[in-house]
Amino acid sequence: RRQLSEGEHPGVTLFRQYLRIRTVQPEPKYDEAVLFLEKIAKDLGLECQKVEVAPGRVVTILTWQGTDPSLRSLVLNSHTDVVPVFEEHWNHDPFEAFKDTQGNIYARGAQDMKCVGIQYLEAVRRLKAEGKCFPRTIHLTFVPDEETGGHQGMELFVKRPEFQALRAGFALDEGLASPTETFTVFYSERSPWWLHVTSSGN
Amino acid sequence: AVDDSNPWWTEFSRVCREMNLSIKPEIFSAATDSRFLRAAGVPALGFSPMNRTPVLLHDHNEFLNEAVFLRGIDIYARLLPALASMPALHNEC
Repeated sequence: RRQLSEGEHPGVTLFRQYLRIRTVQPEPKYDEAVLFLEKIAKDLGLECQKVEVAPGRVVTILTWQGTDPSLRSLVLNSHTDVVPVFEEHWNHDPFEAFKDTQGNIYARGAQDMKCVGIQYLEAVRRLKAEGKCFPRTIHLTFVPDEETGGHQGMELFVKRPEFQALRAGFALDEGLASPTETFTVFYSERSPWWLHVTSSGN
Repeated sequence: AVDDSNPWWTEFSRVCREMNLSIKPEIFSAATDSRFLRAAGVPALGFSPMNRTPVLLHDHNEFLNEAVFLRGIDIYARLLPALASMPALHNEC
């Protein structure tokens, strides 16, 4: 396993490190994720802002300033939490990020959606290394609690002055895997409508 | 809207065409944080660059192949310059 990691693309290594942080519901280790993101921000020379929208629920914002502050920003959003596991049904520890000889990386969050968070960061790393800069500011937002409805995460964050201050013009967020060659892009989504059914006897 | 009335969609789909990526617009079958962004007036697209990948979110043995993951970085490295260079829009201030 260690041998497979040698010569690995650093972006893949970072992805696997993120997958090992147990941000699993119902008690995600958010503190570890925030520390991980703060360290990456420092490595990449990005500004880092933390907004605690509810107790223990921190939105971490990494910012790459654009050259024209009059323009609205691009927001790259991802959530840091993952859904629980039934570990007995897994062939590998879901928080080990085991990589097999085909390069398949097994972990809770490999698709939903720690991959995307690291891909945003690695794309920014590459563009910065190439000396690029762009008119619009890019904000990478890492939010908690998406998997439980976002009520302690994005739902509160969009009401905060810190969100208004981002001056978001457009956002990218998660989609889904596609088994075919074609990628799927989602322009809308279902509105959740939870029904509570109470059944009293007789 | 996913037509040329939406400049963000126009730019997103143009970059995908340039990279010879086949894309299909759909309505998300579940709910995610994008609904709060859209409700706050921020247009959003849901995109995780994973093709040739079985849909295993929330499932046992969720995995992603590293080659698919790395290609996703390439895709964002093309999308971000285009989107972050979008000229001022008529309703923008």
